[in-house]
Amino acid sequence: MKTQKLSQIKRRKDIMNTLATVVVWIFVLLALFPIVWMAITSLMTQGDIATGKLGTPSHFSNYSEMWKNVDFFKYFKNSIIVCSATTAIALALATFAGYATARFKFPGSNIFGAAVLATQMVPGIMFLLPLYLVFIKIQDMLGIKIINTYGALILVYSAFFIPFSIWILRGFFASIPTELEEAAIIDGCSKLGAFIRIILPIARIGLIATGIYIFLMAWDELLFAWVLTTSSDVATIPVGIRLYVGNYQNRYDLLMAAGCVTTLPPLIIFFGLQKQFIRGMTAGAVKA
Amino acid sequence: MTKVQKVSHTNKTPKKGLMYQIKKNKLAYGLIAPALVAMLIIHVIPIVSGICMSFLKLNQFTLNQFLKAPFIGFDNYKEVLLDPNSTMRSGFLDAFRNTAIFSVSCSILVISIGLLLAILLNRKFRFQGLARTLLMTPWVVPSFVVGLLWGFMWQQDGVINRIIVDVLHIMPEKTYWLTGPKVLIAIMIPTIWRTVPFVMLMLLAGLQQIPVDYYEAAEIDGANAWQQFRNITLPLLRSVLSIQILNGIINYIYSFNIVAMMFGHGAGFPGKYGDLLMTNINRNSFQIWQFGAGAAATVIVMICVLSLVGVWYKIFQNDLVVND
Repeated sequence: MKTQKLSQIKRRKDIMNTLATVVVWIFVLLALFPIVWMAITSLMTQGDIATGKLGTPSHFSNYSEMWKNVDFFKYFKNSIIVCSATTAIALALATFAGYATARFKFPGSNIFGAAVLATQMVPGIMFLLPLYLVFIKIQDMLGIKIINTYGALILVYSAFFIPFSIWILRGFFASIPTELEEAAIIDGCSKLGAFIRIILPIARIGLIATGIYIFLMAWDELLFAWVLTTSSDVATIPVGIRLYVGNYQNRYDLLMAAGCVTTLPPLIIFFGLQKQFIRGMTAGAVKA
Repeated sequence: MTKVQKVSHTNKTPKKGLMYQIKKNKLAYGLIAPALVAMLIIHVIPIVSGICMSFLKLNQFTLNQFLKAPFIGFDNYKEVLLDPNSTMRSGFLDAFRNTAIFSVSCSILVISIGLLLAILLNRKFRFQGLARTLLMTPWVVPSFVVGLLWGFMWQQDGVINRIIVDVLHIMPEKTYWLTGPKVLIAIMIPTIWRTVPFVMLMLLAGLQQIPVDYYEAAEIDGANAWQQFRNITLPLLRSVLSIQILNGIINYIYSFNIVAMMFGHGAGFPGKYGDLLMTNINRNSFQIWQFGAGAAATVIVMICVLSLVGVWYKIFQNDLVVND
């Protein structure tokens, strides 16, 4: 009797488990469908998209035409330059500040911590116009060109993503035991030396995770890109990708191809460094 | 400064004074200095001038005077909130209502779906790692691509209508998703689609911190799955949940990219049923050049967000682990 009941319970558990797995895969389908659809449409002809006919998606020439129809390579290159520079600068500054806030209790440290959080509650549009006007004023008065330069976007993006990065890294540094630095200092290291030689290598994963996060955020930014870069020499992808559809043409086939190309770098970075990203992001976030 | 000293644990001799404290922490100041300068230039100065702008008559004619534009006190605020004849007021109130519905729905749905998926992933099954990886992909797609892609899929003869009407026969005819009251659904679904993966990832990490013995002990005591969820999972997940809820509140209220890209590829207007606060303010500022009123509207939204964050803090105060 008892064994029968136990096996019944086990059977019910197995069924529930299978059901749960089925639900997971249904969600996987929902998550992937739009992306797969984007890839399929990027291989369809313009005519097939317009008539809704589902031909075989084999129109690979979209991927060569998209670079000619719009000078997409320029925008792509600009995005890579701006996002890489932003990642390097923001990560460096946030690493220093994150370490300082995690390890030192100094007059003003609470205020600094609160300020870091407070910046997250201000919408981008609040900065946009004042910055734009300040940049124009600087250009008028000092003759320094800022609008329509890489520098404008890199400066704004770096500063923009620093507070959040400090927040992630602070949690990550705080999770590293202080004994490590103390031992290094006893061995004759300076405080700064202990940070650079001992802590930074240990914090590598946190730095990689934060770097990925900054790059993805910068790749994704469009409001400032629209306003601060109007010339195609410096404009990033969100500015350029709009040229496929709208006033002059309606090339959804090329738009979807460009969408796939735009998604590729984040996809490669994320899946290439997925383990580090997940470990780094969650180590700080769970504790913080 | 006295407050800082009171909080400080390491400082046993507060009488040594502020200068001594500052000198002792030279390295810390040196380390935060570059970040602080960047934040002062790009955050503090624009925010202060943005608030000043909300009290100025700043439009296309006075734009080059910037902060020297005529001071008009609270007139911008009155126009946005009180003036019954103002088109800006009706637009703002529509956007406010839409954003409220949008944010509450997205918060509830994203947290629920994210939690469900995290729990389902936190078991052993075949290809568990692959499923988690594939579930993360929507988060990697840039949000402006998400907007363009879904704007294309929602079209009247687009793939979603074809699936719903031609394949599944759920609806009798192909509706317009991008005009009329359904717009808000068309905005919400892509947002949820893109946000769930990250929330799921964080909640999964939180779940993995909970020791398995808790569940084993509960099972021996005869607790069913629901009781285990209510009495073990939820309480131990509160701190992770609280951070995700805060993140959600801020992101949904300030969401812009997806909506902006879905309608006219950044230039359009989602209509009175779909306009959100950020798209509304952006149009007022950069299409009809009402910068003062735009700044006033932004300040109002910010005050609302700050009050919500205050409420959030009151609720979750005790769940925030301070790791000093």
